[in-house]
Amino acid sequence: MSKFGLITKGIIKENPTFALVLGMCPTIATTTSAINGLGMGLATTFVLILSNMLIAAVAPVIPAKIKIPSYIVIIASLVTVLQFVMQAYVPDLYATLGIFIPLIVVNCIILGRAEAFACKHSVLDSAMDGIGIGLGFSLSLTVIGFVRELLGGLSIFGNRIAEGDGMLAFVLAPGGFLVLGYLMVLFRKVTKQ
Amino acid sequence: MAIESSLRNMVIVLFAVCLVASAALGGIYTLTKEPIEAAQVAKTNSAIAAVVPEFDNNPSDSANVREIDVDGAVSKVYVAKKGEEVVGYAIESSTSKGFSGNITIMVGFAPDGTIVNTSVISHAETPGLGAKIANPEDPFIVQFAGKNPGNPDFKLAVKKDGGSVDAITASTITSRAFCDAVTTAYKVFCKINESGEAQEQL
Amino acid sequence: MKQLLVSPSPHVHGKENTRNLMRDVIIALLPAVAVSIYYFGLSAIILLVAGIASCILVEYLIQRFCFKGKSTIGDCSAIVTGILLALNLPPASPWWIIVIGSIVAIGVAKMTFGGLGQNIFNPALVGRVFLLVSFPVIMTDWTAPASFFGASLDASTGATPLALVKEALANGQTVSQIFADNPSLSYSQLLFARVGSAGEISAIALLIGFVYLLARRVIKPHITLSIWATVFVFSGILWLCNPDQFTDPIFNLLTGGMLLGSIFMATDYVTSPMTTKGMVIFGVGIGVITILIREFGSYPEGISFAILIMNAVVPLINMYVKPKRFAKEAK
Repeated sequence: MSKFGLITKGIIKENPTFALVLGMCPTIATTTSAINGLGMGLATTFVLILSNMLIAAVAPVIPAKIKIPSYIVIIASLVTVLQFVMQAYVPDLYATLGIFIPLIVVNCIILGRAEAFACKHSVLDSAMDGIGIGLGFSLSLTVIGFVRELLGGLSIFGNRIAEGDGMLAFVLAPGGFLVLGYLMVLFRKVTKQ
Repeated sequence: MAIESSLRNMVIVLFAVCLVASAALGGIYTLTKEPIEAAQVAKTNSAIAAVVPEFDNNPSDSANVREIDVDGAVSKVYVAKKGEEVVGYAIESSTSKGFSGNITIMVGFAPDGTIVNTSVISHAETPGLGAKIANPEDPFIVQFAGKNPGNPDFKLAVKKDGGSVDAITASTITSRAFCDAVTTAYKVFCKINESGEAQEQL
Repeated sequence: MKQLLVSPSPHVHGKENTRNLMRDVIIALLPAVAVSIYYFGLSAIILLVAGIASCILVEYLIQRFCFKGKSTIGDCSAIVTGILLALNLPPASPWWIIVIGSIVAIGVAKMTFGGLGQNIFNPALVGRVFLLVSFPVIMTDWTAPASFFGASLDASTGATPLALVKEALANGQTVSQIFADNPSLSYSQLLFARVGSAGEISAIALLIGFVYLLARRVIKPHITLSIWATVFVFSGILWLCNPDQFTDPIFNLLTGGMLLGSIFMATDYVTSPMTTKGMVIFGVGIGVITILIREFGSYPEGISFAILIMNAVVPLINMYVKPKRFAKEAK
């Protein structure tokens, strides 16, 4: 598969949110606004690319029986690094995403890609896969966040477009599930899956 | 492809992975320690700046921070000065009476006890209802500015409870909790005043 | 293997069909509708008309353009949803709120699952809960019933009995104090007219509807009665333990959406269990959850949540509580 194909695959055919339905906890929890969704998506992408590359590099020397523990140590370290960096340089975003940053460790997407892709492919291919899946995740989260923010808070990327309160249910978890479900329907209809 | 899962191999590999990972973490921690502290100080200072008149010292410097105990709860007091003169006290107080979880607020008092402004540091209230307290321009928050809780005409309680504060519509519990936190802050302020610290500072 | 034999005609043709059943439900709702129009006049009429019209329209549009199938609005179920939704809202709600509620009720709760008969949750309740969560300010802005036509224009607002009690309890008052302070909490008020949503103000009107449904054999009494019994017993136990903190069982039966919910919403064919034993389990569950939410939750009223939660359990109840198979030997 071409390098470009590896990237687009993550966005459409193996879109982690709408097609693979992975990482639902951060999806519902952080998409209360488009910006938050994008921030969470990019943070996950960062971890995903690095973990994919690292794991692809070390996979050949890791005995099969301790694959998972080694991967978890690598992923957890990367997430902690990300946490330090965000705390230092983008404290506002860190304050909003809060507890969901440490949860990236247990996001199924990351371990899933490590197991399903990175440990069997080259470092470069794994990086491409990480970029693709990460972009797909970020894009999905941004779209969900956009819809929820628009309906729930009457604003677009933090800019209010009308006075008054929106439909609060969309900011809360139940609305998140509704938006996710209908967007998934739309996604499948458009991509004819 | 992968090497054999013998005990020796597994111990060596896991040990190596953990060693590298912890070394990397240690390195990053040292690198980001200072920026993280700076970011936290900046955050506290901007919260203080929002609630007291203009100052030129560093209120979150340990020399200017006091911890006062009122009714068993410890509140932090940041003293803001311009030159040598105290221009205000920013008092961080929190309450557990919110609709969900704790509400922590910063209340700024002028030296005479008038509330300069209030701001919310952390809360977990319902979006669109109680969460309105986090909006510094909400009429509920604005009404506190310029009021002196020591003044008998201003009773620090929502109107439903016989006070003078207009509650947020449909969020009486949050409004009540907010008043509670402001009351705690005022008690802290009174304690500083009584103990004569305020005069000393002047 | 023996063949299944169909006896020769004539077959007995049951005259029940969805349309007739729904017509009976609408007739049973009429007393409550009449009372709400009597007390709230124009605003109640606007809510009812907007609710019915938007429910029908949403169902028609989805059927026509998403399913591309035959119109199903003739079965009158959308009308029932519209009326129930209107009766579940504060009488002073703006008209657009019921339009949003109808879109959620019909569009999300009913048509998404495939239309009438496929839905897991009661559509009108989904609509109501969505509105309650989305617009808490409007949805708790109750107008006091102000006896005649047009009077609602300058009607006073008030708290529902349940909200009133909850609020006062939170302030440290005891139940007997609260009842002494508020004459509106007397039983005669609760029976005929009290503050609440358009359809729940009069207990008598709802009970008339219940009797009609039973007489016409549209519903079985099991669900409704087991909800009442559970609420009575459970809140009774709490009340006996601490009468200062908990309200008495009769009060719990007459307030909030208890009657409207237990008579018209919990008994919805599609979203309730099929066997009588299952119905009793369903009813007991609703009763317990309602009282738990009322006494210990942050909302003053919980029956709509309770019914929705138990709706979700219905498939499980149907799976485990099966009627005995015909011809299976009794042990």
